[in-house]
Amino acid sequence: MSGHTGSGVHPTLARSPLAMARAGLDRCVHCGFCLPACPTYLALEDENDSPRGRLLLMGALLEGQVRVDDAETGRHFDQCLGCRGCESACPSGVPYGELIEATRTTLAVHRPLPVVARAILSVFAELWLLRGLLGAARLVRGSGLARLAARLLPRRLAMPFAMLASTARPAPRPYDATQVRTAAGTDSHAMPDRGRAALLTGCVMESLFTETNRATERTLSVNGWRMCAADEQGCCGALHAHAGDRETARSLARRNIAAFAASGADVIVMNSAGCGAMCREYGHLLADDPQWAARAAAFAEKVRDVSELLAEAGPRPPAASPGHARETITYDAPCHLQHAQRITAPPLRVLAALPDAQLVPLQDSDQCCGSAGIFNLLRPEVAERVLAPKLQHIAATGAAVVATGNPGCLMQIGGGLELSGAACRARHPVELLDAAYARAVRPD
Amino acid sequence: MTALATTLERIVGPTHVLSRPAALLAYRSDALPGHRLMPSLAVMPGTREELVAVVRALAADGTPFVARGAGTGLSGGALADGIVLLGLHRLRRILAIDPAARTATVEPGVVNATLTRAAAVHGLHYAPDPSSQTACTIGGNIAENAGGPHCLKYGVTLNHVRRATVVLPSGEVVELDRGDDGGYDLLGAFVGSEGCFGVVVDATVQLTPDPQQVITLLADFLRVRDAATATSRIIAAGIVPAALELMDQATIEAVESSVYAAGYPRDAAAVLLAEVDGPSIGLADDARAIEQLCREAGARGVRVATDAGERARLWQGRKKAFGAMGRVAPHLVVQDAVVPRTALADLLEEIQAIGAAHRLRVCNVFHAGDGNLHPNIPYDADDPDESARVHRAMGEIMARCIAAGGTITGEHGVGLDKLAYMESLFTAETLDAMCALRAVFDPERRANPGKVVPVRSCREWHATAAAR
Repeated sequence: MSGHTGSGVHPTLARSPLAMARAGLDRCVHCGFCLPACPTYLALEDENDSPRGRLLLMGALLEGQVRVDDAETGRHFDQCLGCRGCESACPSGVPYGELIEATRTTLAVHRPLPVVARAILSVFAELWLLRGLLGAARLVRGSGLARLAARLLPRRLAMPFAMLASTARPAPRPYDATQVRTAAGTDSHAMPDRGRAALLTGCVMESLFTETNRATERTLSVNGWRMCAADEQGCCGALHAHAGDRETARSLARRNIAAFAASGADVIVMNSAGCGAMCREYGHLLADDPQWAARAAAFAEKVRDVSELLAEAGPRPPAASPGHARETITYDAPCHLQHAQRITAPPLRVLAALPDAQLVPLQDSDQCCGSAGIFNLLRPEVAERVLAPKLQHIAATGAAVVATGNPGCLMQIGGGLELSGAACRARHPVELLDAAYARAVRPD
Repeated sequence: MTALATTLERIVGPTHVLSRPAALLAYRSDALPGHRLMPSLAVMPGTREELVAVVRALAADGTPFVARGAGTGLSGGALADGIVLLGLHRLRRILAIDPAARTATVEPGVVNATLTRAAAVHGLHYAPDPSSQTACTIGGNIAENAGGPHCLKYGVTLNHVRRATVVLPSGEVVELDRGDDGGYDLLGAFVGSEGCFGVVVDATVQLTPDPQQVITLLADFLRVRDAATATSRIIAAGIVPAALELMDQATIEAVESSVYAAGYPRDAAAVLLAEVDGPSIGLADDARAIEQLCREAGARGVRVATDAGERARLWQGRKKAFGAMGRVAPHLVVQDAVVPRTALADLLEEIQAIGAAHRLRVCNVFHAGDGNLHPNIPYDADDPDESARVHRAMGEIMARCIAAGGTITGEHGVGLDKLAYMESLFTAETLDAMCALRAVFDPERRANPGKVVPVRSCREWHATAAAR
C-alpha cells in the first residue's frame, strides 16, 4: 500500500518515503497497548519515546505541525531502538518498523546523520575497511588489552572494550560430523540429505564470531545439510536501512543477491537475527527496481534462520557426555528474531536438545537488550538504561549461560556481564549445540 | 519559560517538564483520539515526594491540572485544555505485597497486569481486568472505577481498593479508607471520581486467590439475537460466570486478522465467551449448563478450551479487540452504555438499525453478562460528512439506551465524551449534589476541571462566577 499523499500532507514531504508509507500510520487507533512493549518508553518515561508517541509525531511531521528540522523531534526518532517489540503487541498491525525507517529516510535529507554514525556506516559498506578494522579489534582482543581496558577505563568508555572482550572464545574443537553420537543412537550418515545451504557469514559474525560461524556450518552438517560457500557476499545492509540510508542498503542487497545466486544454495542460512530480518526484506527493499525485484523476492524466499533449519531436523540430540557438568541455561530472544521474523520456538528447540542443560525461563526475554545495531555505540546512555533490567533478570535466573542468536545482543549482554563481573556468559544457541556435538564424538 | 515551569523543573528535573508544543502533542489525547486538547505543559514526577511537591506548587500558583496514567482511557478524561498535565506513569513501584493479608500497596503508575504478574508467585492476582490491563495503570483504574470482563463475578475496582493516600488539589495529603472502623466511606466517594477529587499517591488493593479450576467456553451463533438471549438465560438460571463476553462478526474479523488471532469462527454472527471458575466441585456442571443454555438459544457449536494456552488465546483475542479496530478504519468511537440484560437482544438490533440508517458500521464487543455495551464505530475523521453521521448515530444510540432504562457509562467514565448526556440522565438537583460532593475534596475545582458534570449544571458555581 502506498499513495494516499493527498489530504493534509505538507508540500515539502508530498513525495517522501514517509508520505508513501502513510497508510500504515492510519492503522493506529491510539490504544496504547504498545507502551509496555517499548524499551525506550520504559527507560526514558516520556510518551514521545514510545511507539504511540512517535507515530503521532510522524503524523505531525507529515501535516507540517512539526518542522522536519526540529532537533528534539528528531531525537525521539533517533532514540528508537528499532526492536519492533511494539509490532508484536499491536492489535491493528501498524507496520512500525517500515514507518520508522521511512521517517529516518525522509529526515536524512533535512538532518544529516551524526558524524560518528556516518563513519560507522561507511566502514560497514566497504568490506576491506571493515575486515581490516575488525581484524585490528581481534588483535586487541587476543592480546588481552580489551579486557584490561574494560577493567580500567570509566564505564562509558569501557563498554566497547567489554563487548569486544566478551566475544573471545576458547580454542575450537573441530570434529567429524559423521562421528557424532546422538542420544537416540542414530548415525549422521543415516540422515536424509536436506539440500544445499549457504551461510551469510556476515561482517561482525565472521570477524568476531568466527567460531560461531564454523559451529553453524558443523551443526547443520550433522543435521543433514550440505554446506556451500557464497563468495563475494558482504554486509546485509541492515544498519544502513535502519539509519535511513536506503540507497546504500539497496546496493549491498544487490551484491548479496548476486553472490548467493552464484552459490547454487537451496537455502540461505542466517545466524544473525538482525541480518536475517534484513535479508527477508530484500524483496520489499528492491520492489521498485525492475531489474532486481524478482531476484530479490526469490532471495528473500530462501532465507532461513539456523534455528529454524535445526528445529526442522530435530535437531539430532547429542549423546550426553558423562564427564560434563550440568549447566543452567536461559534464553533471551533477539528482537529481530522474535518481533521482526516472528521466530520464537525454534531456538528453544535447539536448546532443548542439549543433554546437559537445564533451561530456565528469563523474565521479559521478549524485551530488547539495548544493542539495536549500532545504537549502543551512538547512544550509550540510553542503551545502558535499557540493558540494566535485562542484566537484573539474567542474574535472577542464576543461569551459567544466556543464549541468544544475534551478534549485537551477544556483545551487548556479554559486555554488560563482563563489566558487572558476572560469571554468566552470553552464547549463541548454535555454539552450545556444537560444543555438545563435539563432546559426543565417539572416541577414536 | 514561565515561573511555574521553572518551579516544576526544580522539583522533578528539566527532562520531566515538557512545554514545547511539539513535545506536548503526544499528551493531547487518550485512547479515544477523537478528543484532542493541548496542555500548557506536562510535568512527570518520579517519586511520591515530587508528586506532593508538584501538587503543592500548582496549588500555590492556583493552576488547574489533570492527572494522567498511561493515557489508555476511553472518555477523554485525561485531557488538559490549556492547563497542566500531571503524568503519573513514572510512579510505578510496587511498594509491598503481603501474601498473608492478600494485599498489595502500589504507586499510581503501576500497570494493572504488572501487579498481577508480581502477585502470581503467591497464587494471587489483581481481579479487575480491563481489556487494556497490559498498559493501563492502577491510578487510572481507581480514577475511573475501571471494570473488565471478570468484574461480572469479582466486582469492579471499588470492590478491590482497601485504602489510599491521596494528595488533595490543595496539596494536603490525606488517608482515605472504606469507613470500616466507623465514619464515612470516603474512599468509596473517591474511587471513580475521574481525577476531580485528588491524586492517588499510593493505594492498597486486595489480591484475589487464583481459582482452583477455570473452564472457558466459546459458543458461536448465527444470529446476534440468539447470543443475547443465551446471555440473559445464563444469568436467569442463577449461574454466576466469572465472565460472559459477546463479540459480533465485524469484531471477530478484526481480531482474527491480527497477531492476537484466537481461532474464533469467522463466519459466526456472534460468539459468546463464557468462563466459570472456582473450586472444582460442581464447576463442570455449571459449564455443562452454560453449554446447554447456549445450544437451546440456537448456538451452532460450543467449544471448551482444552488447556491454559488455548484459554489465554481466547482471552487475548477478546481483550485486544478494541485495538484491532484500526484494521477497519483509521478512527474509532466507542460507547459504554449499560442496559438491562433482558433488553440486550432488542437493543442490539436497534443499534444495528441506527448504524445502517446513518450508513455506518457498528462493531460490538462487550460485557454481555453485565449488560455493558461497547458499540464501536470505526470511521475516517478526515471525512467531515462521515464524522457528522457518527456523531448523530452515537447520540441516537445513547438516547435509545437511556430510554431502555440504561445508563451512559459502565466503566469508561464520563470524562469529556459523555458530558453531553449527563443532563439527559440526571436531574438538576442530582447534578448539583455531585458538585457539592466535589467541593468537599476540591472546592476550587482545579482538579480535572470541565469533566464529568457539565459546568453549567453547578448552581453553586454559577453563583460564585456571578459574584466575581
